[in-house]
Amino acid sequence: MTPVIAVDGLTRRYRDQVALDDVSFELAEGTITGLLGRNGAGKTTLLRILAGQEFPSSGSVRVLGAPPAENDAVLQRMVFVREDQAYPDIKVRHALRAASWFYPNWDADLARSVAADFDLRPDKAIKKLSRGLRSALGITIGLAARTEVTLFDEPYAGLDAVARQIFYDRLLADYAERPRTILLSTHLIDEASALFESVVVIDRGRVVLEAAADGLRGVATTVSGPALAVEDFTAGRAVWNRRRLGSQASVVAVGPLDEAARVRARSLGLDLAPLTLQQLVVHAASSPQAGEPETADPEGVSA
Amino acid sequence: MSTLVKVARYHLVQPHLYLVLAWGVLAFSFAVNLAVYALVPAGHHPVAAAGSVPDGRYTAALASIFIYFLVLGVNSTGRWLPFGLALGVSRRTYYTGTALLATVLACVDGLALALLQVIERATNGWGVQIGFFRIPYLLDGPWYLTWLSSFVGLALLFVYGMWYSIVFRRWGLIGTIAFTAAQVTVLLVAALLVTWARGWTGVGHFFTSLTAAGLTGLLAVLAVALLVGGQATIRRATI
Repeated sequence: MTPVIAVDGLTRRYRDQVALDDVSFELAEGTITGLLGRNGAGKTTLLRILAGQEFPSSGSVRVLGAPPAENDAVLQRMVFVREDQAYPDIKVRHALRAASWFYPNWDADLARSVAADFDLRPDKAIKKLSRGLRSALGITIGLAARTEVTLFDEPYAGLDAVARQIFYDRLLADYAERPRTILLSTHLIDEASALFESVVVIDRGRVVLEAAADGLRGVATTVSGPALAVEDFTAGRAVWNRRRLGSQASVVAVGPLDEAARVRARSLGLDLAPLTLQQLVVHAASSPQAGEPETADPEGVSA
Repeated sequence: MSTLVKVARYHLVQPHLYLVLAWGVLAFSFAVNLAVYALVPAGHHPVAAAGSVPDGRYTAALASIFIYFLVLGVNSTGRWLPFGLALGVSRRTYYTGTALLATVLACVDGLALALLQVIERATNGWGVQIGFFRIPYLLDGPWYLTWLSSFVGLALLFVYGMWYSIVFRRWGLIGTIAFTAAQVTVLLVAALLVTWARGWTGVGHFFTSLTAAGLTGLLAVLAVALLVGGQATIRRATI
């Protein structure tokens, strides 16, 4: 099946820096993917190019089978919710009304209901909205458009934790009712990690990790306890990140731990904690090999 | 509903900007002029023919609606562009839809101006012999010519305004200044060439023999050229 988003060798150069460097990945239909990375990694540039708002310097980008830039047929089946969307001097209801004309799958009831959840009043002028409510407007449009491809670029700027949870819940609920391809960029990784079926991690313009989220859980474990026991347990295993404080040590052991290993760890008095997606991403983005693409596989990860 | 019409509707989502304000500004200007000229008697000016406007009683205030169209043009591709593109249209479609709106608006408003000119003539300058909707040479002929000239003039100014917005978005403030300077330079070079070729009499002949209809034709060609060029320029604009 043709991937919904196919990026190959995408490079975007500005006069004094390279924002994206030879980025390649594919997204299948009907998945929620997290686009993760540090500030300035290139997530926004990548999303803008996917949405046809920016142009690549080289490489190919295909959304729904065709390059998105200046392509009305593709652009109509896609919505891009960005954190800094500029609106003209109109009210919330005008924006929603205009959106209802352009998106064939627009769901007015959903728009009303999501706006009500966020306490977004239709008669307010957009330029007078707080940052959080502007984000809420973007989210409302993005969800109610019900397009085949939905791109979110850190859409919850200014939203408090309660509002963010509303967003995640609404997103999942509508996704369940009407599956679509969603690419969501965020740096609140642990909060959103439950949403993702797959992740793409970008660092300094390059893809450093691309994997199914399930495959990543359990890919590494933090082993902590008495230093000698830790050394004993992790002998022969690949490790990231050794830390030692007095007689205690904490080490990230790579690779799945089977039941026998867990029993042994317990008998040695060691504490095992699986590495969260956030910690994994931090490692992937900050390790010395961050310049090279690394695909995690459940069998074992080379550090 | 075709996408072009959707873009036009997008601009009209708050109708007063495009449909009402132009006439509000013009109405206010008209009222002021009417009041002023009602105070100044026309008696001591020789009246050449019934229904014509005595010297000195033409106002140039009609320019206000033309300037307003320039402002609308700047606005349409300025503040309204980012959200327009966010609604899933290409720049080409957005530009064409906006140009379509401008054309229809210029046509309708031009017709209204022509009708007002007819009424002005019929009422002998609104009873006070002023020429508000008549401008010597440009808008002083039959109503259909006035309609055509107004239509071309309004459309030209709108497209010219769009150009400024696009240039600003692509090349920033310096680019916009350079754009203006380039136009002045072109005119300057043309003037220098004509002087060097001693062609000013020829140029003078051309302009004196140019009727209002001919001028309208020239401006129409210019408007079309700007329209086509604008669509090509907006293609690489990023929001």
